[in-house]
Amino acid sequence: MSDFDSSNQCDTASATTKATATDDELLSRVGQIARTLHDNLRALGLDKVIQNAARDIPDVRERLNYVVSMTEQAAQRVLNATDTTIPLQEQIIAQCDTALCECDTVECRAVPGHEKITLALQQINANANISKQQLIDIMMAQDFQDLTGQVIRRITELAHNLETQLVQLLLDYAPVELRKETSGLLNGPQINPHAEDVVSDQEQVDDLLSSLGF
Amino acid sequence: MADANMKFLVVDDFSTMRRIVRNLLKELGYSNVEEAEDGAIALSMLKNGHFDFVVSDWNMPNMDGLQLLQSIRADAALKHLPVLMVTAEAKKENIVAAAQAGASGYVVKPFTAATLDEKLSKIFEKMGK
Repeated sequence: MSDFDSSNQCDTASATTKATATDDELLSRVGQIARTLHDNLRALGLDKVIQNAARDIPDVRERLNYVVSMTEQAAQRVLNATDTTIPLQEQIIAQCDTALCECDTVECRAVPGHEKITLALQQINANANISKQQLIDIMMAQDFQDLTGQVIRRITELAHNLETQLVQLLLDYAPVELRKETSGLLNGPQINPHAEDVVSDQEQVDDLLSSLGF
Repeated sequence: MADANMKFLVVDDFSTMRRIVRNLLKELGYSNVEEAEDGAIALSMLKNGHFDFVVSDWNMPNMDGLQLLQSIRADAALKHLPVLMVTAEAKKENIVAAAQAGASGYVVKPFTAATLDEKLSKIFEKMGK
């Protein structure tokens, strides 16, 4: 603090020259700090950590996209099923209504077992109504796909930005070493069926096995 | 219930949600429904075909729901169209912005069939149908 004060008082005449000198000094000191930070990062092996993080992010994004597409497929399957079954329940309800009306005549009522049949029809009608409401509930519950999809999309964007920044950091301070490494056997579901060394359906699994003599 | 032949346009970038809204409208007696996957497509459909009601999401690519609403209100031929926002945007400022832009109603996702029915009825009531 006192150093600053004294230097300011000393050199008011050549203020501009002084400012430039200070700027240069500032830059060179920031450069030194960056250099030290860089060396320390390397010494600690942290540049590898950054490199790994940047390398892993595209994988994270692919996995998130996989979640979006799998949940979407599941939701669509449920909607296909409810689209088929809701009209079937409506048909049952309508047929019961018609049958109940047609059975409600003097002649019909005289038929033995009429009461039992009427009761059964009413029960079927009521159950079909309940089933239909439940099917609508099942359909509505698929809205999770929209909501989770929106959240995942945001995280994917965030990961993308982070990746860009990390890659830039690496480009600026460390040469990116291209390394090829084996990923092991615990890769989880394959999100890209067209990737190298990946089977996309059971047929390919069977073919591979039979080619190996199993 | 309002006229069962009313033509609805359901705007949402998620096909799951479009299907759900379409099915709910059908359940409420409205089976004349078309779909658009963003505001820009919706606007051109609205300009080229006669629609009676718009149900729109907010967060969509190309043109979002608020921009769509503003474009509708700024177009002499479309400005009287009822627009119901159905969106996951649940901040107060969103609801205020939608109201100021002239939304006819606002439903926050996730919603129930009963909520959609109630909001539609309210809008029809106001329209005097």
